[in-house]
Amino acid sequence: MAATISTNSSAIIEFNQAIKDYGSNKKIGPVNLKIKKGEVVGFLGPNGSGKTTCIRLILGLIKATSGTVKINGFNPISNHVEALRNVAYSPELPNIQTFLSPREFLNLISHELPYFNDNTIRQNEINKILELVGLREYSDVKVGKLSKGMVQRLSVAQALIGSPKTLILDEPMIGLDPAGTAHFRKVFRNFASKDHGTVFMSSHVMSEVESLCTSVAIIHRGTILFQGTVAEVTKKVLNYSLIQLETSPLTPKTIQKLTKIKEIISIDPTLNKPKNNQKTTMEITLNEKDVDIRPLISDIIVKSGAKLYTIKQNENMLERAYIEALKEKDGGQH
Amino acid sequence: MSRFEVIFTFIQYEIKRAIARKKVLALVAFTILLGIVPYYALSAAGSTLIPSNIYPYIWVVGVFSVGPLFLNFTAILIAAGAMAEEYEQGTAELLLSKPIRRSDYFIGKFLGGYTLFLFILALNIFLSVVSAFTFFGVQSNLHIIPGLFLAQAFSSLVFYSLAFMLGELIRRSSLAYIFSSAIFFSSFIISTFMGLIYTLTENELYKTIQIYLPTSPANSLPIQYALPNLPQSITNFAGFINTATPVPTIELSILILLTYTLITIAIAAIYFLRADISRKQN
Repeated sequence: MAATISTNSSAIIEFNQAIKDYGSNKKIGPVNLKIKKGEVVGFLGPNGSGKTTCIRLILGLIKATSGTVKINGFNPISNHVEALRNVAYSPELPNIQTFLSPREFLNLISHELPYFNDNTIRQNEINKILELVGLREYSDVKVGKLSKGMVQRLSVAQALIGSPKTLILDEPMIGLDPAGTAHFRKVFRNFASKDHGTVFMSSHVMSEVESLCTSVAIIHRGTILFQGTVAEVTKKVLNYSLIQLETSPLTPKTIQKLTKIKEIISIDPTLNKPKNNQKTTMEITLNEKDVDIRPLISDIIVKSGAKLYTIKQNENMLERAYIEALKEKDGGQH
Repeated sequence: MSRFEVIFTFIQYEIKRAIARKKVLALVAFTILLGIVPYYALSAAGSTLIPSNIYPYIWVVGVFSVGPLFLNFTAILIAAGAMAEEYEQGTAELLLSKPIRRSDYFIGKFLGGYTLFLFILALNIFLSVVSAFTFFGVQSNLHIIPGLFLAQAFSSLVFYSLAFMLGELIRRSSLAYIFSSAIFFSSFIISTFMGLIYTLTENELYKTIQIYLPTSPANSLPIQYALPNLPQSITNFAGFINTATPVPTIELSILILLTYTLITIAIAAIYFLRADISRKQN
């Protein structure tokens, strides 16, 4: 399946019929994927679907059994240095040398990069990055004594050092507290918007992907199922749309009126239970993807004398699309 | 950063990593012990038991008594974990995801561990000389120390490279250590038996096998280098300084050691440059 996210520009990351066969029935591919400069791509898939293998192929840590993988136009195995110049990787739950402090670790990493010839510049960069990820006060504490969340922050820190142009993130928010998650979301958003960087990020948190990413690719059992913008993917997978309402309790008569609208397939009745006798939430499923009947619905509710607090269409649809896509593939097992 | 700087970074890193693993500290402690205790014991045993003409050369006792066993074990212990522990701990992945050449990482790790070994070797020789001086007075023929240091360092390189190679191939430090030690011991034992059988049968085949076993040149080279500079009295006194070395010439010892070393390094390098970087071993 050709899974081209973008075709109208030169690709930063490119899989072409790439297969990785580990033997004993453990195989991914063929994977076809193109990610162009400036895209923020969410890479989704269940555990064991091949996300991390794809990332390791991009980084030249493992070699494709057949097909090709390129980054920045180079093969990451045979042209490792050229391919990974300006590319940084933050692994999921990284294994960082416990005997080093964050400052020592960033020093080590910075010595691996071709950008720092001046030690003062290097130390300034390290201080800046430690500040950015909130590790300045722990800069001299050994990694072995840091919490899981702090190690994850350090993983992101080492990826940001040296102003990379492409970030490859494997579950970057794992282990972070809500404040940390929000902070890093902002950091990655700035990286993409201000620095025009490319982000390829695997995640299980759909809301995170929906809020951060311009595109998504869904991988399942080693092959790409869907790819495109969030809207394109949800449209491709789901043949319905949803309206979420927050109102004062509705009478049966009002609900009956709503059900008579031809575009409405169903109204989730279980949600029509008032919270604190004040508000009720409802979910209405429409049989068409692009139709917007919110004015009609709000009109009926307001005329019935009920209060309408919010009316939203197609929120959190990525998660539904993702679950539907996997369900379809696995015959309803998800 | 130039390639040299990247390699130098990994040399420093490997030294720091090995020290952090504590085993090096244990080795240093043993080195100190082995550098002092034999002299104290000899001195305490009574100077009348030791001929006075031995005194100026007694520093070689400490150097040669620990060489064949302790130094080769030290080399194996350091090298077996150099690559393997990075896979076991999952730390290789992040380091190799950077825009560096795998060869630079490999060279840095190899040289880093070896530098650490050289430090332990130097400490052993230094302590032997200082202890000999302290317990038995002024020492002679110290000018051969640099050459002897190089001969010992080169001799142990064969087992260092072997353990380094096995660490990369097996990617388990404990297994690499066990296999390397097994090869070392087997070579040592087989060499002794081959020598014995040759003495009994005078069949050249047994002699040839003995010569080409890795422990033979490793044990012969430092002695072959030092012997011309030592009086017979000290070799008679210290029986472990075997004047009849298994390998007949110093050139052949160097050649055999060089061959084994280059083969093991080449296998490790080719495998590392071609193989996948494995994730954390559970």
